[in-house]
Amino acid sequence: MTFDLAVLTAYVPALLHGFVDTIWLCVLSGALACALGIALVVGRRRGSRLLVVLIDGYVALTLALPLLVLLYVTFYVLPDFGLLLPASVVGVLTLAIYYAPYVAQVIQAAIDAVPAGTIEAGVAIGMSPLAIGRRIVAPQALPLLLPTLTGLMIGLFKDSALLSVISVHELMFTAKGVVSDTYAPLEVYFAVALVYWATTATLNHATRQWERRLALAHGVALER
Amino acid sequence: MWLDPQVIQSVPSLLDGWMLTVELTLLGAAGSLACGHLALAMQLTRIAPLRWLARLYISFMRGTPSLVQLFMVFFALPLIGLGGRPMLAAALTLGLNSGAYTAEILRGNMRVVTRGQIEAATALGMAPWLIALRIALPQMLKASLPALVNEFTILLKTTPLASAVAVTELVYAGQMVIARIYTSTQIMLLVSAGYLSVVLPVIWLGRRLRQRAPSTMRGT
Repeated sequence: MTFDLAVLTAYVPALLHGFVDTIWLCVLSGALACALGIALVVGRRRGSRLLVVLIDGYVALTLALPLLVLLYVTFYVLPDFGLLLPASVVGVLTLAIYYAPYVAQVIQAAIDAVPAGTIEAGVAIGMSPLAIGRRIVAPQALPLLLPTLTGLMIGLFKDSALLSVISVHELMFTAKGVVSDTYAPLEVYFAVALVYWATTATLNHATRQWERRLALAHGVALER
Repeated sequence: MWLDPQVIQSVPSLLDGWMLTVELTLLGAAGSLACGHLALAMQLTRIAPLRWLARLYISFMRGTPSLVQLFMVFFALPLIGLGGRPMLAAALTLGLNSGAYTAEILRGNMRVVTRGQIEAATALGMAPWLIALRIALPQMLKASLPALVNEFTILLKTTPLASAVAVTELVYAGQMVIARIYTSTQIMLLVSAGYLSVVLPVIWLGRRLRQRAPSTMRGT
């Protein structure tokens, strides 16, 4: 067996296409997960007792179940109830459902870290709730929130490779197709790993820069 | 629909899958601890290439999907004459992948061991390896325990990936049953319950450790 990356040249466009699909899936499910995460935080704070119990149950379940199991549950169980969705929709929804509780945890922790006194001071000098959110809570919470949140999004990006098992067309699924064409699994998966690696490294780097800029702009001292 | 006799008949094969999942988790955890300690030790040496290798390993394992890693290991094993062993590939991948996180956890808790202790041990004439073994490691492990338990729940939640290389762990066992009897909902619920039966106690243990951790963990 030889290791020859040249076999891949003909498949570069296909793999790139798969990569673009992966990015789209991740952007969609990431945005959905954030929206759902915010809804969970608000629901736990403002909701009725029943809603809080429901949210807690949902959070406990998703934190305990493997993503793949959740994926199969939605993939196999929804059709039993007459709901036949395309694989990509099931994939995006499942990723969002799986990551929303983590997003909620991160948001909750960041909000909790804002000293209550600063908000009370804002109220005392007659600032509107919107202004308090924008000028007091956000500048203090965002530098705490962003690194962990982008960490989660990087996790989501890596986990999106799992969607290939329910045949969602993304990078990993394309890679499997290329493997069955070329019989060169090592080369293909090596190249695919490099693509994922480069992307996560870029995201990591960008986050660190962003974090530094935010901290400088708001004069908040960073740990580490 | 409920208590379909076919579903009841499939329980033994699901239990076999459950056992294999637990086995995979334990093997992965052992591998994770081994790789984690090795990677940490490599990062602490004076030999620069070893340090770079450890950084590269950690960055790669944390930066790529575990599914991709699994396929790489699965297709690389035949090169060293160990082809056709999906269980080995899965356990090895889990250990290698989780080891990178374990190394980071251990490194993060190194500051628990204060300089004064090392100096005191040196003054008593202890050899560096003895200091690492008897003074640094026990304290680091103790401080890392809650984070390590958390890491092992993540490891446990990664084991279903092994189904992608046809290891008959819980998810794969469930899929085989579904393919045979065509009732997916009940089987998937049983599979989920199987995971909950392992994950929930581990999460509970982690929470208890975290609560009990306070003052002794902080170091000074």
